[in-house]
Amino acid sequence: MSNDEAKFLLGAYRANGRDAGDARFGPALAQAQADPALGAWFARAQAHDAAMAAKLRQVTPPAGLREAILAGARASARPARRWPTPASWLALAAGFAVLLTATLALWPGRASAESERLAAFAISDTANELHGSHGGAAGALQASLSRPDAHLAAGLAADIATLRATGCRTVSFAGHDLVEVCFQRDGHWFHCYIGRRADFPALPSGPVFTERARFAAAGWTDAGHYVVIVSEAGLDAIKHLL
Amino acid sequence: MSSEVFTQLVDAHYAALYRFALSLAKRPEDAGDLVQQTFFIWATKGHGLREAAKAKSWLFTTLYREFLHGRRRDARAMSLEDLPPGESDVAAEDVDRAARMDAAAVVAALQEVDEVFRAPLTLFYLEELSYAEIAETLEVPIGTVMSRLSRGKAQLRAALAREAGAKGKVVPFDGAQGRKQA
Repeated sequence: MSNDEAKFLLGAYRANGRDAGDARFGPALAQAQADPALGAWFARAQAHDAAMAAKLRQVTPPAGLREAILAGARASARPARRWPTPASWLALAAGFAVLLTATLALWPGRASAESERLAAFAISDTANELHGSHGGAAGALQASLSRPDAHLAAGLAADIATLRATGCRTVSFAGHDLVEVCFQRDGHWFHCYIGRRADFPALPSGPVFTERARFAAAGWTDAGHYVVIVSEAGLDAIKHLL
Repeated sequence: MSSEVFTQLVDAHYAALYRFALSLAKRPEDAGDLVQQTFFIWATKGHGLREAAKAKSWLFTTLYREFLHGRRRDARAMSLEDLPPGESDVAAEDVDRAARMDAAAVVAALQEVDEVFRAPLTLFYLEELSYAEIAETLEVPIGTVMSRLSRGKAQLRAALAREAGAKGKVVPFDGAQGRKQA
């Protein structure tokens, strides 16, 4: 591979390192390490790309755009400019109702409506790849979750207030906080969402299993928490954790 | 799809979609309309949780299609064969210039890049999609994406130099954070 060919490929390598696992870049990256001139070019190119990405992240959407999107979807407000007519929103609302009904009808039988919504929320959060930092206090919890002999349904040693205070990623469901901790077991990633049991009194205590697309989830209650685990490793792998 | 999941989807992607739309449409109000229209299509087509894993690519693809549908093709949408060869050299001053410019000036420079390059280049700098996902989003081959990135970056560096020089938008560098766009 010539240096020009390597530059051509490396020009598509993102500066945030998210392409590090892409084998297509392997030979070009190796060549950049071995060739000082190419290496220097790559360092400058990555610095330029990183600067551009940082500038673009500073661009903020106009105030009210998010609310306009959500209000439109709720079919409860006047459509924004260039949105379809109110009649279309009525059709949209009807569509939502049909979709929700169909979703509930297809869901495994014993799950409560709230556990369904919470599982859907956790799966969607995982699918959207929003995982972030977990903070210092999450390290011990991650270690305990990753232990091969740990049975999670026996109870989690999780102090939600401490996890939140130390930077663990927190998401909000129906006005209640859930902390999210990722961990690995047997080479698979699992995403654990933990809320206070008192915040979800209607949820069933026994495990409720859900499968959607490539994701599986289990939700259950222990002494102080409601827990949802989501993974692409499959339902059996999740059951093995419990 | 429940309202929580829809809200989640909006929160996850609307800012990046707006940045992409702004680079394409240039006017903030048009960019906002494109983003709203994109989520409206998602909702009206009844996408559910089953598609959530592919939501990001779908949203970017749909926004791009809406942009293309919404404007008449002009002379700037030229074919690759018409384009001058890309210049891959990146000088240290290019890096320094990009770091010193404010976000508004950088976006203005990005908007000077020919549209055929601007779409993949903006998606690349958003860092949300890989080159393969950009190819899927724009419905072009992977090699084309790489070629357009190379040529687009060359155009962008030239535009940044013009923007910094002619319009005097270089601002004092006061650390890692540039001045935010108003």
